[in-house]
Amino acid sequence: MTTVLAPVGGEAVGLAAVPDPVFSAGMVGLGTAIDPLRGPGAAVAPIAGKIVKMHPHAYVVVGDDGKGVLVHLGIDTVQLRGEGFRALAAEGDRVRAGQPVVAWDPAVIEAGGRSPVCPVVALDAVSGSLTGLAVGDVRVGDALFRWE
Amino acid sequence: MGERKVTVAAEVGLHARPAATFVQRAKQASMDIAVAKLNGGDPVNGKSILAIMALDVRQGETVVISAEGDGSEEVLDELAAIAAAP
Repeated sequence: MTTVLAPVGGEAVGLAAVPDPVFSAGMVGLGTAIDPLRGPGAAVAPIAGKIVKMHPHAYVVVGDDGKGVLVHLGIDTVQLRGEGFRALAAEGDRVRAGQPVVAWDPAVIEAGGRSPVCPVVALDAVSGSLTGLAVGDVRVGDALFRWE
Repeated sequence: MGERKVTVAAEVGLHARPAATFVQRAKQASMDIAVAKLNGGDPVNGKSILAIMALDVRQGETVVISAEGDGSEEVLDELAAIAAAP
């Protein structure tokens, strides 16, 4: 069982609230989303493991058991080509759960006309494997859901 | 074993929407689906969104999609169309 931590603080709103059907329809996978607190901060690793993908606006951490979690910082933020994001870790790095990975400011993303909401997706998770999904206020590093 | 060589046209590469659409279709297939980069690298499971994201196919790169069994030609045609879509 893996406990997935909130990569950012804010309000857990569920994937259905994400303004992008790729996430809201569950196409990428099961999980939830966080409407982040506005202001400068750092998004952290949701689980311990290796960073197998590091984009400025999104990252995937894979644990030793092979489970991978995607954190996507804002919607359509690939279009920013890294502007507004600063990597604090590199692809291939091992990170502990809760370790800062990307510095960013959701307020800047929002000011640029994009949603700063952050999908957190348990990649390849099967139906029913996620439990204890947090709803409402979460602090960065709080348990967000469990993955059997 | 059937295969299709496809150059990925989407600006984001085989990530985000193209990756999710590809894996969703692959998971509906009864047979195994393998995806590899044309210029080396081991094939990965085309039904795994994690595997496809980690494969990290960029715009303009060519992948080889493989499958065998009943209906595999139709599945390969559909997957190739998804991967090639701009």
